[in-house]
Amino acid sequence: MTLGIDPDELAACVQCGLCLTHCPTFRVTGDESQSPRGRIALMRAVDNDGAPLTPEIVEALDGCVVCRGCETACPSGVHYGHLIERTREALADAHRTTPWWERAGLEALAHPRLLRAGSAVLAGAQRFGLVPRRLGLPRIPLRSAPLQASGDDVYLFTGCVMDAWQRDVHRHGQAVLEAAGAGVTPTGDRVPCCGALHSHAGLGDRARALARRAIAELPGDRPILVDSAGCGAALKDYGHLLGTPEARAFSARVFDITEWVAGRMDRLVGSLPDAQPKPLDLRVAVQDPCHLRHVQRAHLPVRQVLAPFVRELVELDDDGLCCGAGGAYFVVQPELARRIRERKIGYIERAKADVVASANPGCGMHLGAGGVPTVHPMTLVARALGRA
Amino acid sequence: MGVLRGAFGRRRSQPVLPQDPVVAELVDALAPDRVRMDSAERALFAHDASVFTGGVSGPVCFVTSAAEVQAVMRIAIRHDRAIVPRGAGTGLAGGAIPLGAPIVVSTIKMNRVLEVDTVDRVAWVEPGVVNLDLTRYLRPLGYHFAPDPSSQQACTIGGNVANNSGGPHCLAYGVTSNHVVAIDVVLPSGELVTLGGVDAEPDGYDLRGAFVGGEGTLGIATRIGVRITPNPPVVRTMLVSFDSAEVAASMVGDVIAAGIVPAAMEMMDREITRAVENFVHAGYPLDAGAVLLVEVDGQDEGTRLDMERITEIAHADGARSCRLAADEEERALLWKGRKGAFGAVAQIAPAYYLHDTVVPRAALADVLRAVYEIGARHDLPVVNVFHAGDGNLHPLLLFDPREPGIMERVHEAGKDIVEVSLAAGGTLSGEHGIGVEKRDYMSMMFSDVDLEHQNRLRRAFDPACRANPGKVLPASHSCADIQALRQVPTGVWA
Repeated sequence: MTLGIDPDELAACVQCGLCLTHCPTFRVTGDESQSPRGRIALMRAVDNDGAPLTPEIVEALDGCVVCRGCETACPSGVHYGHLIERTREALADAHRTTPWWERAGLEALAHPRLLRAGSAVLAGAQRFGLVPRRLGLPRIPLRSAPLQASGDDVYLFTGCVMDAWQRDVHRHGQAVLEAAGAGVTPTGDRVPCCGALHSHAGLGDRARALARRAIAELPGDRPILVDSAGCGAALKDYGHLLGTPEARAFSARVFDITEWVAGRMDRLVGSLPDAQPKPLDLRVAVQDPCHLRHVQRAHLPVRQVLAPFVRELVELDDDGLCCGAGGAYFVVQPELARRIRERKIGYIERAKADVVASANPGCGMHLGAGGVPTVHPMTLVARALGRA
Repeated sequence: MGVLRGAFGRRRSQPVLPQDPVVAELVDALAPDRVRMDSAERALFAHDASVFTGGVSGPVCFVTSAAEVQAVMRIAIRHDRAIVPRGAGTGLAGGAIPLGAPIVVSTIKMNRVLEVDTVDRVAWVEPGVVNLDLTRYLRPLGYHFAPDPSSQQACTIGGNVANNSGGPHCLAYGVTSNHVVAIDVVLPSGELVTLGGVDAEPDGYDLRGAFVGGEGTLGIATRIGVRITPNPPVVRTMLVSFDSAEVAASMVGDVIAAGIVPAAMEMMDREITRAVENFVHAGYPLDAGAVLLVEVDGQDEGTRLDMERITEIAHADGARSCRLAADEEERALLWKGRKGAFGAVAQIAPAYYLHDTVVPRAALADVLRAVYEIGARHDLPVVNVFHAGDGNLHPLLLFDPREPGIMERVHEAGKDIVEVSLAAGGTLSGEHGIGVEKRDYMSMMFSDVDLEHQNRLRRAFDPACRANPGKVLPASHSCADIQALRQVPTGVWA
């Protein structure tokens, strides 16, 4: 079989290897087959030279976190994301990857009530100590009051797992938006899931169906703000995923919540007594989620938003290398994800921070399970505003 | 829980080990997950960053210590197999391409910085440490590792030693050899020795100097003592634009002749400048025939005076404009353009062959003109972005690899560039090494006597031609049977 990758996109790589050190799986394994250059060479071997899809090749292609750190490092502008997405879809279609339990789990994400019921069971099990800690799940709330709309200036995209497990982060984001003078409509069950995880797992049809649903449910021209970097990247990619003018127009309305707030800092700070923020007494390390830094390329605003509200911001000196969370990656590839996280934690320790700020729930969970205190930037800002 | 564990803990497939006794012994000496024998992994290790093909990899070993390298070497001796060391595989001359299915020894996992001594200004590192990682590690201490090849974000110190790598800032600071004081080497005999030392005058011949640039034909470095360089207090960068590359080239010579050695002097020609500007929006002039990026570093007053003098020279030579970067941000943007130049080429063609020769500064303008003519003759677009200060040319031949017969044309043009450079009194390679790329051109530069002495040196280290056979020295003066290496030995992994 072939992977059916666009030959022009596949031809763009010149094997220079500058991506290697920006690839988390190469960093921890040293295997060429676990590097972007190696994976592209294997894609070529299959598509151009008719190489059989051996288990080793499938393992190499399946081992990618899809952090896309290689894309920002690539001097030739290879669209690695397109290559691996197409590859994953072909492998899943042929049932070479994405086993039944993964498919079943991903299907549940598109059904909010089912997801909430399952989450409640999981939350109960956590209270009785029945959920192994090594799975890295955060403490899931037994119940959480629904979010209430406060106006119609912007949408706050709430998504699937994050809404079930970390609704408080949405609450904090909404509070910050309101402090900046915006009336907020949480999207809630109208848009059950962005489809990012389905796309990573190669379930392209499901991802496209979820994209069409989101577009249909959120008409108009209101900005759509997202506090999960992974979801934001997926929503911004609908234009490419569906290839329609409507989808492109939708994607143009999508912003990470920090991008939007950064443009309204004067109003946010101006709303405070004497326009004086009271910074939290914390040294905060900024962890850039890959899908914010490498995919959306919008990782700088979070610094602008956080700076007035914390004592000190500190950078991690690792060029934005992935933490290993990768959506559901840390569930399907626990061993590689753990080794990637260990490396990240080394850099976090060097930064000597009180807390790590991460604008993606998956990174927060994964780092949290590794013993790193991690919070969402919106939670920090809401706390400093006295709204959390 | 058993079901859950089965579901969540995806099994890593076991490498299929053939009945090759070498593989079994390697697994014993290292660990099962550090010897790869599957066809996918071996196919990938048959290439590096060069455009050369024809490599065939035997078992791939990931070593973690000098003792393991010794163990692998002894196994190779016992089974009379060749070995090829490999770092990140970012070399452009094919130096890491395995010929004749040798054991590939990857040092990528030997990636620790072992010790930093700011009194002696030496850092001891393992060979798999990435060049830029070392500089980043040293940054809080106020130091850096001076050689800065364009691949520094990925290439390893071991690879830098093997190729005696350069980079933009080698104009003032010197190449890798000037920054390596000592090397622990596993010789092809399996013996571990230290070449050089921290002392200013180590005893005996400078075998350290012989080893640096040996391209893996003399043994495998397992620990490297590198000089660390204090970060300069002030750095100033200026963009100078010209009507033509020839005028720019003459300014390069005039600056050096005036007694100034800038930290870097980089040239980009018209086409590449346009592509770069499209990509970084740093304010590079779109209508200039060529631009020079000139950088000086040191004390505030000294760098100011140097820049004034350089500006005078530029105007005297007919520069169109001189723009001093106003702040660190503007400086970084200018460098981002220079360092991203190869990527910007993607706007012009899907692939490039990056060439590397050195010519005397006085001949730069003439050779540049000849290089453009060679491109035109072979119907290949050529752009130039290079270390003008030390005459190190990097013509990029642009092509689409899917065009039938294109590689022959590209290699012919490459050969012509070598001929023109040598005729002007230049050398085969500035910093990429010889590898397989220029092996057969060696006799264009060296006499039989020269080559025979190089071969004797090599055999003094490696009498059996076990280390990276088929590289650097041409068939006429190689101890390896290069013809035989082209054929894949049967039964190696069947």
